Amino acid sequence: MFPEFTAGRDEMVSGDGRLRSHWRGVMGAVGSLDRSALAERGERLSRAMQEEGPASLLPGARSGWRLDPLPLPLDGAEFESLARGVAQRARLLDAVLSDLYGRQELLSEGLLPAPLVLGSPDFLRPMRGPAPGPWLNLYGADLVRGPDGAWRVLQDRTGRASGLGQALENRRLLSSAMPEAFRAAAPLSLSPFFELWQESLARLATGAQAEPAIALLSPGIGDPHWYEHVVLSRELNCALVEAGDLSVRNGALFLKTLAGLQRLDVLLSRLDAHTIDPLDQPEADAGRGVPGLLDALRHGALSCVNRPGASLGEMPALAAFLDKLAPRLIGEALELPSLPTTLLASGDAPPRLPDDASAWLFRPAGDGRAGERRHRDPARVEAAVALPALPMAPALEDGTLAPVPFVLRVFAVHDGEKWQCFPGGIARLVGPGAPLTGRLPGAGWCKDVWVPPDPSEAIIGPAAHVAPPLPIRRTAGAIPSRVADNLFWLGRYVERLDRGARLMRASIARIRRGALLPREMVELSVLAHCLNEAALLGREAKPSTGSLSPLADALRRQAAPAMRHLQDRIGQLVESVRDRLTADMHATFTQTLRAAEASLDAAPPDLPELARALVPSLRFANAVAGMAAENMVRGGAHLFLELGRRIERGQAIASEIATALDGPPQRIEAGLRLVLELCDSAITYRSRYLNVLQPAPALDLVLADPSNPRGLAFQLAGVATALGEVSTERNDAAAQEAGRLLSLAQGITPRLLDAADQSRAAAELPPLLRHIASEVGVLSDMVTRRYFALLPAPRAVGVDTGGDALVLGA
Amino acid sequence: MPTYWLRHRTAYEYQYPVDLASHLLHLRPREMPGQRVVSTRITCLPAPDHHTEAPDHFGNPATRLFLAAPHTAFEVTAESLVEVSFDAPPAETPPWEAARSAAHDAEAAEFILPTSSIPLLPVTRDYAAPSFPRGRPVLLGLMDLNARIRRDFTFQAGVTSITTPIAEVMRTRRGVCQDFTQVMLSALRGLGLPARYVSGYVRTRPPQGEPRRRGADQSHAWVQAWLGPRLGWAQLDPTNGIVVRDEHVLLAWGRDFSDVSPLRGVLLGGGAHSLTVNVDLVPEGEN
Repeated sequence: MFPEFTAGRDEMVSGDGRLRSHWRGVMGAVGSLDRSALAERGERLSRAMQEEGPASLLPGARSGWRLDPLPLPLDGAEFESLARGVAQRARLLDAVLSDLYGRQELLSEGLLPAPLVLGSPDFLRPMRGPAPGPWLNLYGADLVRGPDGAWRVLQDRTGRASGLGQALENRRLLSSAMPEAFRAAAPLSLSPFFELWQESLARLATGAQAEPAIALLSPGIGDPHWYEHVVLSRELNCALVEAGDLSVRNGALFLKTLAGLQRLDVLLSRLDAHTIDPLDQPEADAGRGVPGLLDALRHGALSCVNRPGASLGEMPALAAFLDKLAPRLIGEALELPSLPTTLLASGDAPPRLPDDASAWLFRPAGDGRAGERRHRDPARVEAAVALPALPMAPALEDGTLAPVPFVLRVFAVHDGEKWQCFPGGIARLVGPGAPLTGRLPGAGWCKDVWVPPDPSEAIIGPAAHVAPPLPIRRTAGAIPSRVADNLFWLGRYVERLDRGARLMRASIARIRRGALLPREMVELSVLAHCLNEAALLGREAKPSTGSLSPLADALRRQAAPAMRHLQDRIGQLVESVRDRLTADMHATFTQTLRAAEASLDAAPPDLPELARALVPSLRFANAVAGMAAENMVRGGAHLFLELGRRIERGQAIASEIATALDGPPQRIEAGLRLVLELCDSAITYRSRYLNVLQPAPALDLVLADPSNPRGLAFQLAGVATALGEVSTERNDAAAQEAGRLLSLAQGITPRLLDAADQSRAAAELPPLLRHIASEVGVLSDMVTRRYFALLPAPRAVGVDTGGDALVLGA
Repeated sequence: MPTYWLRHRTAYEYQYPVDLASHLLHLRPREMPGQRVVSTRITCLPAPDHHTEAPDHFGNPATRLFLAAPHTAFEVTAESLVEVSFDAPPAETPPWEAARSAAHDAEAAEFILPTSSIPLLPVTRDYAAPSFPRGRPVLLGLMDLNARIRRDFTFQAGVTSITTPIAEVMRTRRGVCQDFTQVMLSALRGLGLPARYVSGYVRTRPPQGEPRRRGADQSHAWVQAWLGPRLGWAQLDPTNGIVVRDEHVLLAWGRDFSDVSPLRGVLLGGGAHSLTVNVDLVPEGEN
């Protein structure tokens, strides 16, 4: 078992039991809350996390990130000196990296052991060579207090240095959950830092374009840090892209957007640097990276931060040498040292543990991704780190405040001239068994870190980067194709969910009536047929006069789980377009979808309950429609959501009406009644025509009337408009095709009115309606191929070396 | 000084058009003591939209080609004129243990580490051990091992591929130049002696009285082994059991094949592909 950590300095209370002065503001406010009020704040925070924060819709991602209601205030003067030390360390590590990937003087002079560096899995050979631009743009350090009470570095973070998005979210959530404390302590605001970071990224642009295009490259929604990527891309105003969206052409990097290829100048990469470029990294899976990316970087056509290979600066044993490297590389003594670290060759026994340390941590000497162990493995080359007692801060657990050990993570960004320290951070609370080092999980239990305001020390960046005025744009061109694709399918699936819920409820209502009239039996088989077409029921699930229970069973056993599955797919799509939704929209989508999921999960196996359990699904679909209509700018994201919904609904209406009308002319009235019910148009019909039901007026309402949002004409008109808007061509072929289908639908009314026998004419409609349904499907494929087709996945080819070299003659 | 005319042609044909292709080439011979590259030229069809030249981490010339227009065939030909005359290794070398204990040197350190295709196995180390009794001069040990591999292993094309594990070659004692090179590298690195994988070509002689067949030569692989910080590297060809002097042309060196593969690409599209490789290594004056 893991040992517990030794308790060190109490951050809140000094040795003589007095509250430290920089805690007074926070504790004054917290002290005014009684125990239950504080516990309630903790609850409120967890709820906010669930509803608007990182807890996402993705399976398994709901718990894990826990924020304590008490912040960790830092002393102003102490933070100032810490910030100086962090900036110096970032400068030093940048210099170390540029030597190790360049001339390697540190190796030839023997200042660093060559086997350590050359044997490190983080030494990326393709990055060796002259580097245009800096190695580091972002730096993070994990800190604990040394035995003397001063901060020491436990681990450097020179690779991705995750956590700034989390820190920003923590601040947002905490300031609303603990307003008194926030007012009392008034910590330094975080947003100027993100502006500065955004500027620093813009400065890295190669100058190839007047407006630098910046993107955050993410592994996608499967990554544990996905939420952080969403937050950062929003805060930094940059596109959130994945490797499949990118390609290198003519030496530069391009993003595939709806409007074609858009050049990118700066990449904030969150991809594993080992698999970023399958051309230069033969062991990488060709589908995970962008071939040629490192070549574009090498030749200065692209900036990528931190440079791939920068995580070499995280080698645990490097800490044993930094003291000596600082004077050699930057001509200064190291201000913020590491914890005492010793490099152990294989076979070496660990030295005697210093008296003021609590334990040795053993880490693979060259692999910063691996965590620590408490026992020496003599076969391995390891870095032994002398761990002091950990600093402690009060945290709320089970309703009471108790001291918990923590590790402090701080960040800095290079603004083009110097390093600027982030005025905040994350205090990661570590329970017994939690790893201290290595690659950390995407979530955990943490505290927000507050730095007091100091007017003389506000962040002052270099003069603002002057951007040329932006041309006005009102088009959707810059949306990555993948995002548009996801929005399109989100629109389709939400509509499919809505449709499925309506069909199931209509079926259940009839089954519950019991002894059915022949007309009702016909309606029920039409409904079963529609459910089959919607892929919610098997073909064999049909009502029969003998018994309705097989159909009832199928609704419970097939249709309900299929609806639940649809909800999961929708959840993934919502997450994948999260950066396109405002916080309010995301919260509304999430909460209503969760309610719909929970309600289906909890539904007991009887039909009335199942019908009730479908209501939240309808509510979710309405919420999406309402939010989209009221909160999304027309064009762009909205266009594709709308297009998906209209295509799905148009196709479903046409095929459902065809099924309902399929039958002898004498039965047409039952079909019409059902059609009006399915299209939610019975009330409108009654208000227009009272109780007289005739084919022409009824079918006009559901097929040809462009003002009925549940009718076919409305969908086709919507599709035509959306396609016209998204296209750059005046006479877009797909939009014209949608227009043609619309006039086919609208031609139905005169055809019925002119017919001698309207019932017979209506009974002859199904083939035309099925034709329209299948043409809408063709249109959907056209849209997919034209706008969404991603780059195909790359694959590698190689040549065997001399399979059969000839042997020299004797 | 022997001069060779070298031509290495690779032709791909694809089932469907390739939309986007990038290729990494290690096909320009390396300039180094003992080898002078008089001229070198790479031609490809269709012409690339973009290409770059940059030495790799090991100092080998590397060429990258990028094709952005759809194509169903791709052909690349490297032609070079190279003078070769590597010095004979020094007559006297220190004991092999001295080279081993200096192996942390920046020049040598990465060439004692295992790679995914050349693991350090007890079976290769034990095989090499008799060549390195205590105190033996390192070059004598290397030449002994080189000769033993030539003697104990049977050259047989087609029984192995680039993915055949070393352990299997140790069992069957059959294979081609790459297998023998990998066996020797695994053995030397297992003993703590730095050694590099070398890619290049070796001169072949047509059977007595027959003319040279065009394009019948092959890529070749051999070993560079470290004699210590003062004496540097010796080149040994275990396939032929000889020291490399003036019948080899060197392209590139690295830790293993994947560092120096002559031509490797990443394609978008294309479906299945077929591949033809022709190599000619012609001594000046012959035809």
